[in-house]
Amino acid sequence: MIVDDLPQFTQFQVDEQTHIVLDREVCKSCDHHACVHSCPANCYTLNEETNRVDVVYENCLECGTCQVICDKNAIDWSYPRGGYGVCYRLT
Amino acid sequence: MLKLSERKEVVPQNFDVIIVGAGPAGSMAALKLARAGLKVVVLERGRHPGAKNIFGGLLHNTPVLNEMLPAFWERAPLERHVFQKVLAFMTPTSAVSLTFETEGFDELPRNGYTVFRPVFDNWLAGEAVKEGAQLLCNCTVENLVKKDGQVVGVTVKGREGGLRSNIVIAADGVLSFLARQADLRQDFRVEDMGLGIKLLLGLPKETIDERFHLARDEGADISFLGTTDALRGGGFLYTNLESISIGMVVHLSSLKASGKSPYQVLDTFLKHRHIAKLIKGAVPLEYSAHLVPEGGIAAVPQVYTGGMMVVGDAAGLCYTNGINLEGINLAMTSGVLAAETAIQAIEARDYSAAVLSLYRQKLDDSFIIKDMKTFKNAVDMMHIERLFQTYPQIISAILEKIYRVEGTPREKIMKLGRKEALKKVKTKDLIADSIKVGRALL
Repeated sequence: MIVDDLPQFTQFQVDEQTHIVLDREVCKSCDHHACVHSCPANCYTLNEETNRVDVVYENCLECGTCQVICDKNAIDWSYPRGGYGVCYRLT
Repeated sequence: MLKLSERKEVVPQNFDVIIVGAGPAGSMAALKLARAGLKVVVLERGRHPGAKNIFGGLLHNTPVLNEMLPAFWERAPLERHVFQKVLAFMTPTSAVSLTFETEGFDELPRNGYTVFRPVFDNWLAGEAVKEGAQLLCNCTVENLVKKDGQVVGVTVKGREGGLRSNIVIAADGVLSFLARQADLRQDFRVEDMGLGIKLLLGLPKETIDERFHLARDEGADISFLGTTDALRGGGFLYTNLESISIGMVVHLSSLKASGKSPYQVLDTFLKHRHIAKLIKGAVPLEYSAHLVPEGGIAAVPQVYTGGMMVVGDAAGLCYTNGINLEGINLAMTSGVLAAETAIQAIEARDYSAAVLSLYRQKLDDSFIIKDMKTFKNAVDMMHIERLFQTYPQIISAILEKIYRVEGTPREKIMKLGRKEALKKVKTKDLIADSIKVGRALL
């Protein structure tokens, strides 16, 4: 699947600091985890056993889906610092 | 291109206008303002204009672009001009398509061009710089600076100080944190957003010309209905010179409720027989995604306040009626209208909401708000679930009945059409859907 090879096609200038911060306690009690399945870059993962949500900000396409789709206010999402993050060449 | 040096501090400077975002709306505003001799700066968070920008692929004919940059097509980095428009209804095993071509589309100004945003946006911002606009890349605007309730500047993430201006134009895209900060809009809602995802696939020019029956720089624009695994949305395919942009836009609320992953839906779309043969042998070049404002006129926020105006996607200026999907032309036009308003405000030395309300009036008088009002009911129509799976199936079933030869007595088209439709939809739903489609388009 295309998303598995994402970093091969799309360029990123990875910042050392994240631009996505989760409120894990809130995520634990979430009944849909829509962020996990909706993220087009597959940045979110859910550990079914512990119910813990993790996010990999390095591959974020900055589309904004997760923070709009989260109805629990558990995702603190902002644009990366200037120059960092996804860097499209063509598209 | 000017870039901010490595200094951590932004030198406090006073500008006539600060524009946040070097997309099409921001750059057109900058071009207009710079030409008027005003001191204008554009703050872009990407490493270059366009680095953060994606769209399906089509730059529509935009009279204001032709006016500001006459014969831009001779200089701008364009891919193909769109000559062939196709509307395709798909089921997992069939495809029905309607193709429209006219020699008129070969005439200048062309009806639209496929472009790469990282390339086109960079070029357009460069045109504004040539006219004297200052461009600062690598600057993510974080906060608005207010004084006496009026916007008077911005701060940049990770840097001290800020920039001051008489007017701020927020061209910061669909997720306009600035419009929200200025209390011009409510929080972003899933109901008002679509998610666009796209794959750029490389193919030799000759192969594209042959597969899509194109010559010279002619291009194709194909819209697909029924390829989104029952999600409310549609697929798209645009031909570039040596690549194909293929992807889909789905309603965020529909995606959320489905539990499906967008890339899985795209994967299924790419494997459809009809699509697989079009993209055979293609090499993936880039994958991208972004939200699209899809709430229509009802979701357009307040577009001005004291010292600030909101343009383009940030102002929700985008619409689809299922056949037309326009945004970039609305964005560029709104940028110019905001710039015109800014020029008038600066002449009058009055940056109050009362003066900037002229911008909303200009939007109302332009095709932007007129078209969004004309198709205000299309938003409702686009929420008919059956449109995205059931109706394409019915269309396919009717055509199959018409074409299949079986040695059994035939029925006239109306009769067999009604029969096929009622197999899948109840009469009352059929009537309700017809009314919605009628109200939206007819």
